[in-house]
Amino acid sequence: MLDGILQGLSTAILPMNIFMVFVGCFVGTFIGMLPGLGPISAIALMIPITYGLEPSSGLILMAGVYYGAVFGGSTSSILINAPGCSSTVVTAFDGYPMAQKGQAGKALALAAYSSFTGGTLSAIMLLVAAPALAKVSLSFQSPDYFALMLVGLSAVAAFAGKGQVIKAWMMTILGLMLSTVGIDKGVGVERFTFGLTDLMDGFSFLLLAMATFALGETLMGILKPEKDNHPKEQEKMVDIGSMKVTKEEFKDVAPVAIRSSILGFFVGVLPGAGATIAAFLAYGLERNLAPKEKQKEFGKGSLRGLVAPESANNAASSGSFVPLLTLGIPGSGTTAIMLGALIAYGIQPGPRLFVEHPEIFWSVIISMYIGNIVLIILNLPLIPYISKLLAVPRTVLLPMILFFSITGVYLVSFNTMDVFIMLIIAMAAIALRLANFPLAPLLLGFILGGMMEENLRRTLMISDGELSFLWERPITLAFTIIAVIVVMGPVILSLMTSLFYRLKKRES
Amino acid sequence: MANNNSIRFNGSSVLSGDRISAMIFLIVCLSYGYQSSLIPFFPGDEYEPFTARTLPTILTVVGIILSLLLLVSTSSDKEKTDITQFHWRLLGSFLLLMALYGVGLTYLGFVLATGFFLMIGFYLLGERNKKILFGASFPFVILFYLMLTQGLDIYLEPGIIFTIW
Repeated sequence: MLDGILQGLSTAILPMNIFMVFVGCFVGTFIGMLPGLGPISAIALMIPITYGLEPSSGLILMAGVYYGAVFGGSTSSILINAPGCSSTVVTAFDGYPMAQKGQAGKALALAAYSSFTGGTLSAIMLLVAAPALAKVSLSFQSPDYFALMLVGLSAVAAFAGKGQVIKAWMMTILGLMLSTVGIDKGVGVERFTFGLTDLMDGFSFLLLAMATFALGETLMGILKPEKDNHPKEQEKMVDIGSMKVTKEEFKDVAPVAIRSSILGFFVGVLPGAGATIAAFLAYGLERNLAPKEKQKEFGKGSLRGLVAPESANNAASSGSFVPLLTLGIPGSGTTAIMLGALIAYGIQPGPRLFVEHPEIFWSVIISMYIGNIVLIILNLPLIPYISKLLAVPRTVLLPMILFFSITGVYLVSFNTMDVFIMLIIAMAAIALRLANFPLAPLLLGFILGGMMEENLRRTLMISDGELSFLWERPITLAFTIIAVIVVMGPVILSLMTSLFYRLKKRES
Repeated sequence: MANNNSIRFNGSSVLSGDRISAMIFLIVCLSYGYQSSLIPFFPGDEYEPFTARTLPTILTVVGIILSLLLLVSTSSDKEKTDITQFHWRLLGSFLLLMALYGVGLTYLGFVLATGFFLMIGFYLLGERNKKILFGASFPFVILFYLMLTQGLDIYLEPGIIFTIW
């Protein structure tokens, strides 16, 4: 393991890779600040660039963008109450009231310090958890992988918002359906190509990610236009006041940051839960744990209310790398895109990654930590200047993002047909967004579809078509039970709630 | 008028947004299912436990169940978004512009197509400052083009109009 860490360290500190961390954090912060564009879009926009890089540099760049985007989202949450992504919605609860009180600098500094704490603690936990899990998962066989993917896909839907569970499953199924387009890898027959040669290779993952997120989110920005930042808000972004945090304040929030980081990491590891749920859970937990006088401050500019979600969402971002790097199962839309990029490099993430490409495995983990340092020493003092970039009018910004999205796909395939396919998918994505369908499960289903079919094929061939493979091995059985619980959980819960209310009604 | 209202009322309660989505998804699943039945079999495939049709068939069945679940579990719209306030015409113009950009890449080449795409895009969004309209489009594209071709050594095909003479 030590060899691997040293190999990873030497890769991570290569000037090129350090440069990638800087670029990633900087670009991510900028894109993350733009309301409506989240980390998934930020990473999708970076994919074409990563194709020209070494796998480790590409992944480091994407990890940097991820961190930067989450940090950028917090910045716009605090300064203008416009969260750049869902995981920083909670940050605005107390961050924005602080900014209104003239403590924007302090809020930003605290957000950065707590992100740093979250990042540091989760990097340490990742250092311990990932290799251990990778070693366990080396014993996994096809049935285990198939069952594990079932858990991953069902969990994504289970963590969707209220009333969204069925929609999230539908999107997962649609993603899996899209993954079956093209020549079947098992027997080599064409499926759903309608005789079009452009569809023989199936949909490109880059095209799908770009069309559903980068293009979809930008076109939604055109459909539902927001006004440019008000000059007063611009001023607020430049003049953020003092960033000093007192010793007492540090002492008060340190345990909060530690607790929330640990919680965030474990929530992040769960497939589908992600940074948003981690931030909400940490906020709720801290509000309950706080003394009564402090509880009243929540929502009005509480330091604890700011530190908790910030530590948790950052720790969860690192946590979501555990299933990606060790099992090859992405836990969120963001890590799903990274998985797609790794597959495009010809690298199969999973337990073998730890053995076959230790330099990638460890360099990503180490670069995450470097990314945290970059965010605190570089991005924080630069916030007033980075936010000046937001002064670029939307009239220029939106066509530019559209251009980068289209060109990003075109420059990889040099096929104008891809532009038209992108357009059709983007139109469908807009319709789905308007109908409140979550799109991350679609991407997850699409990326896992190929692997899932491959493992199911192998398993059914070995078991001669018997479904008993689902309970024959203890690991498979455990995953199958978890998947069933995850699928049935929301249904049982809603049935129990309605039963409870009915009984209560009868009693009253 | 009253009659009109009642039609509207009935229409909204029976055909909520979710129900329409569920029906569309059902149609998609049925078409997908039909298409998967057309996937060719190799001789002897019918005896195999897993074929190219297996996963599509499973997905069709699960998809149909889910769309039916959404169809029956949805009540009328709780939160209605007023889509009439959206800028549909602007979106339509951009979609058309993007389609033309796709065509333009083949016929006009990268520089001209992108330059026009950006300039018209700025204009559509309400930018009227000539410095921005011209300054942020063609000079930017030329710089980007030079970076791609000279810096990254990427070959970009010239447009058809430049090759016919």
